[in-house]
Amino acid sequence: MATKRDSPTDGSTDTEGTGAGEIEARVGLRYTLRQVKRDTTARIGIYTVGFVTLIAVLASIDNYVFDYAIAEAIWYSPVQDPEQVRRLLPPVGMENQYGQGTLEHPMGTDHRGRDIFGRLFYGTRVAITVGFMATAIGLVGGTLIGAVSGYYGGRIDDVLQRVTETIYAIPFLVLVIAFMTAFGRDLTFAMIGVGITSIPVFNRLIRSRVVSVREEDYIEAARAAGVKDRNIILRHVIPNSFAPVLVQATLQIGVSILIVAGLSFLGFGAQPPTPSWGQMLSASRNYMLPAPTFSLFPGMAILVTVIGFNILGDGLQDALDPRINN
Amino acid sequence: MGLVRYTLWRLAQAIPVLIGIITITFFLANQIPGDPVEIMLGPSPAQEQVEAIRARYGLDRPAYERFLNYLAGVATGDLGQSIYYDRPVLEMILLRLPVTLYLTVSAFVFAIVTAIPLGVISAKRRNKPADHVSRIVSLVGVSTPSFWIGLMLIIIFAFYLGWFPARGLPLPWASPAEVRGAETQLQVLLTSLHHLAMPMVALGTLQMAQITRIERSSMVESLQGEYVTLARAYGVPESTIVRKHAFQVAQLPVITIVGLGLSTALGGAVLTETVFEIQGMGRLIITAINNQDYELIMGTTFMFGVAFVGGVIITDIAYAYIDPRVAYGDES
Repeated sequence: MATKRDSPTDGSTDTEGTGAGEIEARVGLRYTLRQVKRDTTARIGIYTVGFVTLIAVLASIDNYVFDYAIAEAIWYSPVQDPEQVRRLLPPVGMENQYGQGTLEHPMGTDHRGRDIFGRLFYGTRVAITVGFMATAIGLVGGTLIGAVSGYYGGRIDDVLQRVTETIYAIPFLVLVIAFMTAFGRDLTFAMIGVGITSIPVFNRLIRSRVVSVREEDYIEAARAAGVKDRNIILRHVIPNSFAPVLVQATLQIGVSILIVAGLSFLGFGAQPPTPSWGQMLSASRNYMLPAPTFSLFPGMAILVTVIGFNILGDGLQDALDPRINN
Repeated sequence: MGLVRYTLWRLAQAIPVLIGIITITFFLANQIPGDPVEIMLGPSPAQEQVEAIRARYGLDRPAYERFLNYLAGVATGDLGQSIYYDRPVLEMILLRLPVTLYLTVSAFVFAIVTAIPLGVISAKRRNKPADHVSRIVSLVGVSTPSFWIGLMLIIIFAFYLGWFPARGLPLPWASPAEVRGAETQLQVLLTSLHHLAMPMVALGTLQMAQITRIERSSMVESLQGEYVTLARAYGVPESTIVRKHAFQVAQLPVITIVGLGLSTALGGAVLTETVFEIQGMGRLIITAINNQDYELIMGTTFMFGVAFVGGVIITDIAYAYIDPRVAYGDES
């Protein structure tokens, strides 16, 4: 449907549209979105990411506003089984030494009798928040450092680049662990730590763009017209580097979710009883033999979420890459 | 000649980065709350005892002085003394580092050996079923947490099928007396490889997926090159074109991605070592953190940095070796 409606309009702009309008249309946000919508893989990515984000929002609302009331109404206690006897139940339709799986706990229960499906649901909240926040920190930090560094060049550039290079030189999981040991083991510092380690990625990306944009005529014109450096960077240089940054940010959200899952697995990150996927996997290590599905589902949740962001990132890249468009 | 000078230049460049790493680790270790001496001596130690320990480890001196001492120590190969174990940090690291390097290097070997054929086939049969399969494999590969792959491998191949052992990783050059069930050096090697298989796959999958992606796009690009069209026009067989002309050119971006992937892989080693209970650097840093062992935390973090910087230098030199333009271009 969308493809059918879009292509004639696009065709007409190609033949009738003025040259200037054409160029404008090919770099704008609206053009990007149209391009993404047309791409099947990118659409799958959008749906997956949208679905997971929706779950995270719903889980947050239920957690903070209704205090698990909605979940309690649908599932038999997602938080804690008061009877404690339904520990390590298998998923529905399966059987293990602890009993038969029931619809009450579609994915079974964990070592404390808590519903795995319910905890996965609430774990989404942590994963999505951390993914977005960490990437936002890296994006803002990396963009500023990269833009300043690339725009001014010289001594400032040298110093800033050496600093980010050094941050990059420590394997980032190790750096975040050391960072969290120093400042705090909870989720906030996990976000900040992962954000800091992703600064070099955005820095490099923006800096290389800025170095090439800097020489463009319109920047020269702005400078000649007396526009302040800060405004040139914020209004002209950064917006012109929007496309590759958007792609990188989308991919980086997936990477951040993976790192934070790893951190939680090691005991850094969301502290119990806050449900997070990495920490569920960590708990499941002691029950791999009697209840293998306990280890299976949280990993699947991570996989699906991260795949969503990766597909979306790839789709954006294809949509924004002029070599593929032409 | 250019290559030797390039190597030296590259090594010299690493020195400020290493000093930077030490600065960061020192700063972070200095921020750690809690008193290591208290942990060492128990909750209410005698005052003289505390002061003696503080003086012995230099904890009574100001931070900048300790930092300069530490820098000087590192320069002479002394990473300090572990407060918790009361042993030289370097000695503890040298016991563990080979295990982590063995695991990481094997993971890369696995990744490269599987990824290159996958990527080449994918590029040759672009948009055909084989390409789709390989692209899906690499997409899943970059999206799966390595430690979860480890857990799944343990459940399937260790618990259910019983093909591989679930924990530990003896080194292939360990003495037969140290390795259970091995009497000759050959048996040690086989036991080691047997233990290596699962952690190697768990750690290497992400790298495999990333290398496959780069290999594919790089091969696609190089197969569109003018020299390929020319070779085709001359009637050179397609297999020769792929193997001889397109392939070599396409390997340069792959080398870069291997260098950058080292950071992920060394971090991933911490997780893999936890899953498979391997006594490597990753376990060492976690134990050090749990014991608040400052010197050991600094030492292990620094060594992780050294391992990464070293790996990047090696890949850079490999790059310069394959593409001589790099070595000559950078000197000017």
